[in-house]
Amino acid sequence: MYTAENISFRVRDKIILRDVCVSLMPGTFTAVVGPNGAGKSSLLKAMAHELTGYHGDVVVNGRNINTYNPKALSLVRAVLPQSTSLQFAFTVEQVVMLGRHAHRTTRLENISVVEEVLQLTNTIGLRDRNYLTLSGGEKQRTQLARVLAQVWEETVYPRYILLDEPTSSLDITQQQNIFTLAKRVCERNIGVMAIIHDLNQAVQFADHIHFMREGRITAAGEVQSVFTKANIEETFCCRVNIYHDPCNNCPYIIPERELTTVGSLKFKV
Amino acid sequence: MNLTISLRDYRHIAITTGLGFLLMAMTLVSLAIGAVSIPVFDVAVILLQKIGLFRFVEIDAMHEVVLSSIRLPRILMTILIGGAFGVSGASLQGLFRNPLVEPSLIGVSGGAAAAVVTLIVFGGAWALPQAGLLHDSVLSLVAFGGGLAATLIVLKMSYHNGRTNIAALILIGVAVNAIATAIIGLAIFYADENQLRTFTFWTLGDLGSATWDKLMFAAPVLIVSTIALTFFSRSLNALALGEAEAYHLGVDTESTKRVIIFLCALCIGVSISLAGMIGFIGLVVPHLIRVSFFPDNRLVLPASILCGASLLLVADIIARTIVTPAELPIGVVTGMIGAPFFIGLLMKAKRNNEL
Repeated sequence: MYTAENISFRVRDKIILRDVCVSLMPGTFTAVVGPNGAGKSSLLKAMAHELTGYHGDVVVNGRNINTYNPKALSLVRAVLPQSTSLQFAFTVEQVVMLGRHAHRTTRLENISVVEEVLQLTNTIGLRDRNYLTLSGGEKQRTQLARVLAQVWEETVYPRYILLDEPTSSLDITQQQNIFTLAKRVCERNIGVMAIIHDLNQAVQFADHIHFMREGRITAAGEVQSVFTKANIEETFCCRVNIYHDPCNNCPYIIPERELTTVGSLKFKV
Repeated sequence: MNLTISLRDYRHIAITTGLGFLLMAMTLVSLAIGAVSIPVFDVAVILLQKIGLFRFVEIDAMHEVVLSSIRLPRILMTILIGGAFGVSGASLQGLFRNPLVEPSLIGVSGGAAAAVVTLIVFGGAWALPQAGLLHDSVLSLVAFGGGLAATLIVLKMSYHNGRTNIAALILIGVAVNAIATAIIGLAIFYADENQLRTFTFWTLGDLGSATWDKLMFAAPVLIVSTIALTFFSRSLNALALGEAEAYHLGVDTESTKRVIIFLCALCIGVSISLAGMIGFIGLVVPHLIRVSFFPDNRLVLPASILCGASLLLVADIIARTIVTPAELPIGVVTGMIGAPFFIGLLMKAKRNNEL
């Protein structure tokens, strides 16, 4: 289990996170949703141990995250950021191979892992391409392959992947690809947590959803129980209607068009 | 499949070996050419006699003296300095994820120059050239101290909340260099003509002052810090993705940053203190490797050592021979050749969309 226990974080007087608790189970997909500025990214950074200076504890597989050194931690959790800038002309394969940085495996083992994740992310045909010449979707698939390579092998302990809005600059096909893959790797005893902007995507892929607003968790739990009109409206301050896909009964939302002008919009829950 | 993979592994080794041979060839040529030209055959025999071989071959005694007490220390120093500049340029460009970085950015050369000019102008008896070896060593020590102090200030000031902020570090480096320039300007304002000349020549660089005594102190530091930097090549590859990403991949980014900067300051500080300011090697060489081959730091770092050393040897040959019996300052040569060469590289990279 990967848990954040009562995380609070402030920058000067501005409170970013207040008593946030999140638990992430191996084998499940957890989505974090909320409006801009709700503290989702800060939460993810705190859980990745990238952010320091917060109050509360992050516990990974029963051990406080402070007791891990960077190497040990990297064998347990991988992070996929929104976008990655690279200045030097590495090949796709070299970028993915970076995922094996902390592993003490042989070169041949690394190559077979890299090959597997290249196949899975459908980037095997790009392996010798210059990363700088790839399209946005290809870049992000390469980065996902790198993240997968980092936590690929089955181990006795569960591993985790944290995704920070991984599809924000991609078209819908690429978005679906990324999330479908992330969902599929859960089977390998991997827990996935993703910050997702599109609620319909969140409900389609996630097993658990955390709603966040103004640094607080406003609702959390299994999708069926928390994906409600009330929770969504309270979190996003926006009227929505929930419908159900007639084929697979998956819920989806459509925001309501406000009749009043946006400037004078006053909405109370 | 496995065949192509193993071929790819051998590429590193092949390129590095090739550059190693190039350096060896340059060293021999460099030992042979000069005011007194010594046939390459004699050079080889003298070197082999040093390790106890070919004792029976007769060699001109003058050649032997020129080679072993003048040319050999100079050329060893050139190799060490060229390698140190090459590898620190490559590691700092990797660390700052910016291909425009020159080793002087961390404040080390500004600090060294400011310290040296202050000593020359205000140092009184300490800075008198008559003092001979002592004079040289004092200048060297002061340059090294000034360079290291400036870098430590830059590092300290860019440290906040347990992290070294790279953006702040670059800007503070620029500011510290600006302060150094101001100090240099102030000292020059008070300097007399002799002092001005001493300082100007110091800034242009000089490899001719090499002696075995100096090398005894400098060589171990240069060799250790140059080789130590190559151990960071894998971490630098991860850092190419970004600092946070490298941390996620398991790199201890904080200690990596500090150790790399400190090692580079040692490399550059010692080099500057031995030979004055030598520009351009640290900027050009890593690019040359990346454009000619590929940007994997496991190749770029060791190759930059070999290539930096070879290039500085070539520059030194030109400096020594083009106006014999006089010598051009080495900084003039590296700038004159380095800059157009760099522009050529950039043009090529631009055409290939690698920029």
